[in-house]
Amino acid sequence: MGGAATRRAPVVNAGELLQRIAQTLRNDVGPAVDAEYPKTQAFMAAVVLQKLGRELALADGHRAADATELRALADDLVRARGTLRPDAGSSQATRGGSANVAAAIDRFAAMLDQESLCGVIESLYAARAELDAAQFDALLGRRVRRTLRTQIDRRLEFAK
Amino acid sequence: MNEAKVNDDIVPRIRDYVAGRLGARDVTLELVERIAVGWSHETWLFDAVWRDGSVQRRLGLCLRRDPGNALLRHLSTLETQFKVLQCLEHTALPTPKPYWYESDTSILDAPFLVMEKVAGTCPSPWGRDGRAFYAAAAKRGVLPNSFTRTLATLHTLDWRAAGLGFLGIPAPGKSFAQREIAKWRELIAVSEHPPEPILTDLIGWLEENAPPTDRVCLVHGAYRTGNLLIHGDRVSAVLDWELQVLGDPLYDVAYVLSDLNREGTPLLSNLVDRDAFFRDYEGATGIAIDENVCRYYNALYAMRSVAFWMSASGLYASGMSNDIRLARTAYSVPDVLDRAAKELGY
Repeated sequence: MGGAATRRAPVVNAGELLQRIAQTLRNDVGPAVDAEYPKTQAFMAAVVLQKLGRELALADGHRAADATELRALADDLVRARGTLRPDAGSSQATRGGSANVAAAIDRFAAMLDQESLCGVIESLYAARAELDAAQFDALLGRRVRRTLRTQIDRRLEFAK
Repeated sequence: MNEAKVNDDIVPRIRDYVAGRLGARDVTLELVERIAVGWSHETWLFDAVWRDGSVQRRLGLCLRRDPGNALLRHLSTLETQFKVLQCLEHTALPTPKPYWYESDTSILDAPFLVMEKVAGTCPSPWGRDGRAFYAAAAKRGVLPNSFTRTLATLHTLDWRAAGLGFLGIPAPGKSFAQREIAKWRELIAVSEHPPEPILTDLIGWLEENAPPTDRVCLVHGAYRTGNLLIHGDRVSAVLDWELQVLGDPLYDVAYVLSDLNREGTPLLSNLVDRDAFFRDYEGATGIAIDENVCRYYNALYAMRSVAFWMSASGLYASGMSNDIRLARTAYSVPDVLDRAAKELGY
């Protein structure tokens, strides 16, 4: 095999393709349109395609990093679950919240998704009156939020 | 929606409607302009011109039509906007005079209202020309004072006497903030956006820290340059009555103080010196500005922004709108979530 007959066109990946279409819309199409509404649409399409192209280019790395971090968060929360204790000053009526937090952590550890992570956060706020302040701060403030920060930083790499 | 088609065939129908309302024949519409701002309702400006005997009459009008896929369709109707303008017509607050509201969709295919076209311009604070306009006005010093005085007028008007109680009166205590949280929760729910843990954290924090207030005022909800008509270096009309609510006036003050509306200048809303705003607002209203409460409302605005962008991007995703500006807002969600995380200290 070889020679001119077998030459292949260069492969353009999806992210690169969208970036180039975005450039065309921004540099060639938008400026050539007079009417205000379609002109705005052309420029806005360029913005969307540029961000989408970047999102696609980063997607594999982001997916892997998210999975690793959610697993690590789940491991830390499962370890912390065993130490959950009601605050000494909490009333009998509020007790039961720590059991709900433990259940939410178990669900998150099984699912490892954003919905079950929301469930952990909701359960922490719901158990706020029962958990002592240091425990609440350790779980949400120092651990869960650390993961949330890294997740949003990754999304900003293409959304900004 | 086919924007070009709408533009072509609606003008004669508007003319026929206005002619019927004015009881005049031979009405023509001049200076017809569809404003390309706003994502909620279509807005048309025009002059109706007709002869009354030997006299030529001219009436400047503004028509807003509900396209059925408006950004805040679940929370703000043109009928409510019309009622608010009717209530405000005889107060000291400068607002457009409301003329007609029509829910009959056979007239223009959708509900619409018609109000006065007030003299003035409304430069966008986000564009280069708008920023230059407000920078020059700030130097002259008249418009900044008018901006603050108009907000003071809004917050000191007798809303009960004006008939605005229908907007819903919050109970003393934390009711106002709780109602706002519930409202934006509802918009988030209908947007069917995937779960966002930072938003869940933000809502938990907002519910836990809702500030009590027993002062109830008319609150505009988006008081900033870009929502105010300017004429002769003064505010000639307060526009965009879509987010108004009865509640804590510091909700508006927080919006004025917010970094959101500054475009990188130290001037509030690109226009007003911070110290002058505090002095003039507190002097005119007798309301002390509590910056801690304003910081809380700033976090509440982050929730509101997330709700807006989730709703807007959802309209595009569901095919209810083909406006690519709405598709763009999907990328605004992470941006606001970043702001929310920073408000919460991470």
